[in-house]
Amino acid sequence: MITPGSKYFFGLTGLSLIAAILYMVLVNPNDLGAVALFGLATSGALIGVMALFTRDGDVYTDEEAVAANAVAGPPSFWPIVFALGAALVLTGLATVSVVFILGIAVLIGGGVEWTIHNWADGASSDREFNEFARARAISAIEYPGLAAVGLGVIAFFFSRVVLAVSKESGPIIFIAVAAVIFTIGVLIASKPFMKGAVTVVVAVFAVVALAGAGTFAALSGERHELAAAAEEDHYDASHRECGGEESKHYDHLANNTVSLRSAVTATIFVKDGKVYAEAIGMTKKVDTITIPRSNATSVMFRNLDEEQHRLVVNLGSAKVAETGVVEKVGTCSQLTGKNQEQVMTLRIPKPALAGEPYSFTVPGATGEIKLVVP
Amino acid sequence: MDSVNNVKSSSHRIRNSIATIIGFVVLAGCATNAPQDTWQPKGDNAQIINNLQWIVFPMAGVVGVLVLGFYAYTIYKYNDRGQPIPSQSHGKPIVEIILTIIPALILTVVGVFTFRGIFELANTEDTEMVINVTGQQWWWEYDYPAQDEQGITQPIISSGQLVIPVGTKVLLRETSRDVIHSYWIPALNGKKDAVPGRINLLRLQADKPGIFAGQCTEFCGLSHANMRMEAIALSQEDFAKWVANQQKAYTAPATGSLAKEGESVFLNQCIRCHQVNGLKKADGTPALAAPDENVYSGAAPNLSHLMSRITFAGAKFDLLNKSCRSDVWDASSETIGGKYLAGVSESCLNATHLRAWLRNAPAMKPMYADPAKLASSGGKYRGMPNLGLTETDIDKLVAYLLTLK
Repeated sequence: MITPGSKYFFGLTGLSLIAAILYMVLVNPNDLGAVALFGLATSGALIGVMALFTRDGDVYTDEEAVAANAVAGPPSFWPIVFALGAALVLTGLATVSVVFILGIAVLIGGGVEWTIHNWADGASSDREFNEFARARAISAIEYPGLAAVGLGVIAFFFSRVVLAVSKESGPIIFIAVAAVIFTIGVLIASKPFMKGAVTVVVAVFAVVALAGAGTFAALSGERHELAAAAEEDHYDASHRECGGEESKHYDHLANNTVSLRSAVTATIFVKDGKVYAEAIGMTKKVDTITIPRSNATSVMFRNLDEEQHRLVVNLGSAKVAETGVVEKVGTCSQLTGKNQEQVMTLRIPKPALAGEPYSFTVPGATGEIKLVVP
Repeated sequence: MDSVNNVKSSSHRIRNSIATIIGFVVLAGCATNAPQDTWQPKGDNAQIINNLQWIVFPMAGVVGVLVLGFYAYTIYKYNDRGQPIPSQSHGKPIVEIILTIIPALILTVVGVFTFRGIFELANTEDTEMVINVTGQQWWWEYDYPAQDEQGITQPIISSGQLVIPVGTKVLLRETSRDVIHSYWIPALNGKKDAVPGRINLLRLQADKPGIFAGQCTEFCGLSHANMRMEAIALSQEDFAKWVANQQKAYTAPATGSLAKEGESVFLNQCIRCHQVNGLKKADGTPALAAPDENVYSGAAPNLSHLMSRITFAGAKFDLLNKSCRSDVWDASSETIGGKYLAGVSESCLNATHLRAWLRNAPAMKPMYADPAKLASSGGKYRGMPNLGLTETDIDKLVAYLLTLK
């Protein structure tokens, strides 16, 4: 007997093969897409054969799925969801990408649910069994999916709250909420015979409180310094130029550069008025830093002195096209206080000309680090 | 009776076929001409991995055979032949406990050896030499920072072939200009991803002089399969000679020679992307390549001392013709240094491939180099385009490139 599960996978195999052949004929016979579709067909066939030999891994299928498709199940609303997904995809194509992505998600979700629902509907003449079969097949997808959405919603609302309150209050709120959740969890766990309704009330209250607080926080906006930092646009090119300080909040968005900071090619220090450098992988201090041509490479500047310093990158000179005047080329970090650090990302397209070597210097400190672009 | 014999004979045929296939698979593992064989370590780091393989794979093999055997037996035994459904039971604590403890013990043993290997391979405290390695679609760039201990007094830049001294703990600082690549010379160490914006470290050490083949192992686009590389291990003396040659100043071809005309063609065409250190324009100013203006990833191989390498185009093609190539690749560890350092002479040049490359590079190696299809990269190429050179220009260029030793 061809079991319902194997039918599904054999169907997938057939469709994939047709799609692969069409793809090869209409698009490109040598393209990876055809390989992927043949792979899908092979996988489907393999799983179909396994499902067939193991009777869908379900010993009850044979006994109870006697009169498949004998009785139609209740009407399904998944085709409507699927259609909604298709509408969103088309709307998204004409408007904004977020709607398109949402449409794809709804389309995939609706399609999977519809397929499983339809498959389960024809599993046997017993509606109860069909519902059981549907639940068993889809639960492995539904529960993690709903959990992911739930976690996303919680993370979104909670992050709005943390962004709205002061920097000092954030960790305290985080600890307090964690403590409350832990306490309620312990209470519920220690009262196994407590009515389920109580747990539901607590959960609903928590969700409403979180959604309310998150919405209120989102409407209130981010805390002052974050808003100010965003307005200053720290990553605008003008803020990286060597000049008067314009930002009071430069490192407040340091979390945005965590990845850069973890992979700098070298760190340049200033200590006791002297400049020195350490490069990743090198055991000794270096006096030369090599940066591949045209490659975005990050360098860290760390000030260990009492007074403020900035790192200057000297990149030779160039003639200004409009005026014909030869000007120095370079860039700087912002002024950095004691034990503070700043990361700079450099992308240098050409090697230095003879007589104008590139270098790192720190005004007010002695020594320089040579910069080589081979 | 006949039908019984037929069934027996067909059963024998199936068994023989399966045995033949398994035999071929097993024999394939005995191949000696396998330059990227992970079971033939040629250095300390690869040896650490090999030692781990000899612990993990036999264990995994036994487990795999047992599981698959049990699975096949179950499918065969309980195949649907209309027999009654066997009795069903749920849960058998003893079996479950045993089947939990045994894998846990196996994983513990594997974990101990694996973590020890990982920590050994991650150690960079004893580094003796550093080389920066930059991946780009579809070639590798090597730059050697100045290191007095190794006799490198000024930076060296090369591509395609990594040259290292034997017995030296070399540390590669890997990064990438465009997408994620992965550097892998199986005979010398495992794989390490080259990630844009990050510096990843990989140790290499070769025990003896030799050529060790490798390949990019992170899918990186159209010509991923053609992104090859070789590590050339030379004796300390030969490495010093190689360094001296790489640091040698540029020598312009003799005036009036075909190579001199080739230099002009190079300055008109190739310099847009390819740098030759020391090359000067007609007015005496340095000729600086501008790959950032023409190539999507911002760089093209530096061709200084091109003919001291024996491959080109991301190590996809040989610069040596067949017989000279065999002479170098098949050389013993005692003689390979001298043969490699001889570079590419006119009589050994693989002119067919080099000329074909200059004539129409995209036809030789898949690249995004069709001028009509560069909208997504802002008009910049990924790879070398067809420059539309005439055969005369190609003659001149080949003559010029031969002087870059």
